[in-house]
Amino acid sequence: IVIHCSYTGISIHAPPRTEKMAVDQDWSSVYPTAAAFKPASVPLPIRMGYPVKRGVPPPKEGNLELIKIPNFLHLTPPAIKKHCAALKDFCTEWPSALDSDEKCEQHFPIEIETVDYVSAGTSIRNPKARVVTLRVKLSNLNLDDHAKKKLIKLVGDRYCKDTDMLTITTDRCPLRRQNYDYSIHLLTVLYHESWKTEMWESEKTEEDMEEYIWENSCSQKNALDTLLRIKASENVSNVTEEELLASEVVKNYRNSVIALKNEGETENNVSQYKESVKKLLNIQALP
Amino acid sequence: MKWEVHEGEHGVVTLVLSLKMQVSISDEPETLYKRLSLLVKGHDKAVLDSYEYFAVLAAKELGISVEKVHKPPKKIERLTLLKSVHIYKKHRVQYEMRTHYMCLELKYLTSSTAAVYLEYVQRNLPEGVAMEVKKTKIEKIPEHIQEPVWDTLPQVEETEVKS
Repeated sequence: IVIHCSYTGISIHAPPRTEKMAVDQDWSSVYPTAAAFKPASVPLPIRMGYPVKRGVPPPKEGNLELIKIPNFLHLTPPAIKKHCAALKDFCTEWPSALDSDEKCEQHFPIEIETVDYVSAGTSIRNPKARVVTLRVKLSNLNLDDHAKKKLIKLVGDRYCKDTDMLTITTDRCPLRRQNYDYSIHLLTVLYHESWKTEMWESEKTEEDMEEYIWENSCSQKNALDTLLRIKASENVSNVTEEELLASEVVKNYRNSVIALKNEGETENNVSQYKESVKKLLNIQALP
Repeated sequence: MKWEVHEGEHGVVTLVLSLKMQVSISDEPETLYKRLSLLVKGHDKAVLDSYEYFAVLAAKELGISVEKVHKPPKKIERLTLLKSVHIYKKHRVQYEMRTHYMCLELKYLTSSTAAVYLEYVQRNLPEGVAMEVKKTKIEKIPEHIQEPVWDTLPQVEETEVKS
């Protein structure tokens, strides 16, 4: 409050409000909402700005820097606690049965990820907000062996083998709800198509197989061939193929070859293969 | 909504219109959010630090578990322009825009809790600060994917495809 006499030009300023403030006053009534910094209402001796030469930063009276920067005077801890106490009625409890990630996954296998954007500008819309990402683990879907392999082939890059996670990202529709519906539609179509067996699927060759199958492969043929010839040269009575296949050494050889082809070459696998070949061809003497 | 008498400082008595918020309960099942990730971007680190304190305290008061709060490194975008309007190519001026980030990850929220928290936190976003909220919703597998539909459909005779 200023009392100004226009004749003499004298102004008498009233003392600022800070002088009359009690130490234990209710601060949330001084700054109930976000407001600019008022030096006469804030009883703190703040200085801000670049210091004068061999001096201190300018005081708070008439300090533009303090007015420009956003202040959090309306969000002191007691004020936040008051707000949260009033808002607590509108919150609901998380179900206590779902306290770990694994349980969430078991009961709710599908995860939908959406992003919201908040920023200041002429428009509140953001075109990136319509993207929807759907993630699901294939082990949670009702798929049999053939359906799972067909789904993985159909989906291509969107499947990650290490985490067994199928990720579908949609943003071809203009609205988020449309994108979500489209992703669910894609999942439904993929699921049903993978259960179907087309006529041309019987023409699947060895190159298309995802994993190595020993039965009816050249490795099996060669091994049986060799064993039969060994037996013939020793003049043993005719041993049938089924007996050979059921024997321990051939089974060992089969397991080691499958491990080598599917898992790649590791120390373990290669030494296992060596042992099984030695047993198969009866050459124990070599180191 | 009704008028209430409020006693202020220095014996000032005012009439205040009080709005008590009404809680309404609806029957539809809540959607569950496994994770809520808030990424806050701003030009001033001190503002983001204060905002982080506010957001973390608000989450604790509302009973939301905070998984982690981390600060990704800042990104600086620099551009070099000519200092003068007409010639003087050798004299340039450089500007830079610094964007600081702060990421807040919350776990296990229901849709009403998430709506309340997000509205509170977004209404108190300071000027010049932007936010991206990534929500991860969890859902059950819909009924039409439980069983393949080919088992239930009636047998359709295969028609010859004319080539």
